[in-house]
Amino acid sequence: MEALTDIVLRSLWVSGSATLLSSLWSLPLAYAMAVSRRLGLLAPIMEALVGVPTVVVGLVMYMLLSRTGPLGFLNLLYTPYAIIVGEAVLITPVIVSTAYRVIRRSVETYGELARTLGAGPLQAAALVLSQSAPGLAASVVMGFSRAIGELGVAFMVGGNIAGYTRTLTTAIALGVAMGEYELAMQLGLVLIALTLAVSLAVRASKRLWE
Amino acid sequence: MRRALLAALTVAAAAAALVALVAGWQQEHVIRVRATTTTSLYATGLLEFLEEEFKRVRPGVEIDFITVGSGEALRRAAQGDACLVFVHAPSLELAYIRAGVLERGAIFAYNYFVIVGPSDDPAGVRAAASAAEAFRRIYEAGEAGLARFVSRGDNSGTHVRELSIWRAAGLDPRGRPWYVERGAGMAETLVTASEMQAYTLSDIGTYLKLKREGRLHDLEVLYTNSSELINIYSVYLVSSCAGEEREVAEEFMEFVVERQDLIAGYGADEYGQPLFYPARERLDELKRLWWSLAEG
Amino acid sequence: MMAMRLLALEDVWYSYDGKRWVLRSATLSVSGGEVVAVVGPNGAGKTTLLKIMGLLYRPQRGRVLVKGVDAWASRAAALRLRRSVVYVHERPIMVRGTVLDNVALGLRLRGLDGAEVRRRVSAVARALGIEGLLDRDARKLSAGQAQLVALARALAVEPDVLLLDEPFANLDEEGREVVADVIRGYSREGRAVVVVSHDRSVLARVATRWVRVRDGRVEAP
Ligand SMILES: Nc1ncnc2c1ncn2[C@@H]1O[C@H](COP(=O)(O)OP(=O)(O)OP(=O)(O)O)[C@@H](O)[C@H]1O
Ligand SMILES: [Mg+2]
Repeated sequence: MEALTDIVLRSLWVSGSATLLSSLWSLPLAYAMAVSRRLGLLAPIMEALVGVPTVVVGLVMYMLLSRTGPLGFLNLLYTPYAIIVGEAVLITPVIVSTAYRVIRRSVETYGELARTLGAGPLQAAALVLSQSAPGLAASVVMGFSRAIGELGVAFMVGGNIAGYTRTLTTAIALGVAMGEYELAMQLGLVLIALTLAVSLAVRASKRLWE
Repeated sequence: MRRALLAALTVAAAAAALVALVAGWQQEHVIRVRATTTTSLYATGLLEFLEEEFKRVRPGVEIDFITVGSGEALRRAAQGDACLVFVHAPSLELAYIRAGVLERGAIFAYNYFVIVGPSDDPAGVRAAASAAEAFRRIYEAGEAGLARFVSRGDNSGTHVRELSIWRAAGLDPRGRPWYVERGAGMAETLVTASEMQAYTLSDIGTYLKLKREGRLHDLEVLYTNSSELINIYSVYLVSSCAGEEREVAEEFMEFVVERQDLIAGYGADEYGQPLFYPARERLDELKRLWWSLAEG
Repeated sequence: MMAMRLLALEDVWYSYDGKRWVLRSATLSVSGGEVVAVVGPNGAGKTTLLKIMGLLYRPQRGRVLVKGVDAWASRAAALRLRRSVVYVHERPIMVRGTVLDNVALGLRLRGLDGAEVRRRVSAVARALGIEGLLDRDARKLSAGQAQLVALARALAVEPDVLLLDEPFANLDEEGREVVADVIRGYSREGRAVVVVSHDRSVLARVATRWVRVRDGRVEAP
């Protein structure tokens, strides 16, 4: 199997990009849900979607991205970008529902405060979001952890191609499939260490912010 | 001040991620050929070995091996998501050839499946005269509560072959308490068989690899080398494949068929016996066997 | 010349849950120069009344007029008029940062330049005696200190109508005196103050008029 550092860096890159990409739509959606009663009705649906098995998401993404699928013309299947897009979709419910809870509380207090002082909708949003930044960071980290630890999407749309789309989790699955349990175990430990390190780093920066 | 620093750091991190993303897009100048294959074949390392050798004569290409079961490998080809298919399931292959999914194909290697089981062999497989008889003995021992059999149960080439042997023996073990459908790859199935002291059908490559690594306790080859157990590996070009990917795919296919010497020598150093036999010397016979397997 | 009618509620009905009316036909008007004292039992609807006057809640029925304009006739009107009425919470809300950040919040939202922000912040801080707190972490103030900061934040933007919900609740005697002075002084500049409180003695020092909220209506005491 290829060098461990390559796989680790690729996993970080893929899952990090997926998290950034997902945040681009998940955080605005969470904010919209927190301020609009009608969109707020999405909250239980999002919470339910958190538990969707990753292979199901992977399967759906595969059918979309397949050459004969509706998005086949993008030629994304079996590239790291397919994993990035797929994982971004996968972690949307986690980020949205945790961020929604954070923002919701913040809207009730800071949103109202902003309005007492004559803020416009955008100014109110800016105040609410800046006040909930630490909570939002935590929800983005949860999204990242789910992305880097998931197997279904990476396997289905990435294809576990050595040196190209092999990530930590697909390498683990291959290790198990090939009976190389020690290798699989080592990769598993690396994965845990990585997620722990990221979450500790965010925690430290949160303290700096406070 | 601190906050400004933090904001700057965040922006820098985001920018770095974006740059990495863009750089990722740019670095793609190689021609990539998508090839689906089975886990058992991939796990022997033969395909990547052939790819490395191929890249020496044809730089600037990447063969992307996507490892799934044989059935899945072919189904993905039918979806247009592969350009080459490396498989060993003649009956499935024939169906896809007839459907027009696969166009040109070639047998490039063969070896034998092995029936493995506990060394005390409670079913008496060692004494069997044919693979079908061996399975019949396992069935009887299973019914008597003396033996168990672990099946891949994943529609892989090995699984398809196992089912055809049961059919040849005139038996249907599915649903019997001693018949375990694992739904997993070859290595996991072998480990399960070893843990359960059960019989199973395996390709020789995966068995030798795990055996050498000491992962299989007391699991031995009890029967092999009959034409019933021949394992024929073919490579196909997928009809929907086009452009420069197709050109390279054709070159690679030709390379695999031409360089039989590479296949003949592969694995001998590591396992003490070659994992594959080159197809060329016995091609006519293999074709005949392939047809009987495909239609049988 | 009659003092200008700055804020008026006309036959206002409000319910939080669509089942129970908290305000039922509340009517009240406030003119420049007035300090209106609002009293009433717990849960009577005083806070609700003030938040409606502050254009934070939109009544299901009735009109809210700010300087003669129907505030809820359009979204733009509500946004614009909200700048002339400022509600100060019963329980002060502090944003992350220093006391100065908090006092300056409304001014920065209005896009005032740094010098003007500094000038106004130090003026209100001096008036309320909190100059010494400006560098402190706003989340670590005592209850009374926080109340003064919240009041300073509202005064800094100089609204036409200041809506104070229990502004004396956590203050010591000296603090009450300071706040009472500020309220009186503010109303003398032709602006209006509405004060909700349970403390009638301090209200008596500032009020020019009394109203009582009972059963969701605004009545004479
Ligand atoms: N957010 C809310 N959702 C639902 N009901 C509410 C809400 N806020 C207040 N109420 C209810 O509306 C009624 C009036 O509440 P309000 O806060 O206006 O009373 P108040 O006169 O300010 O009381 P207090 O003197 O205790 O401050 C109460 O019955 C209260 O339970
Ligand atoms: Mg109240």
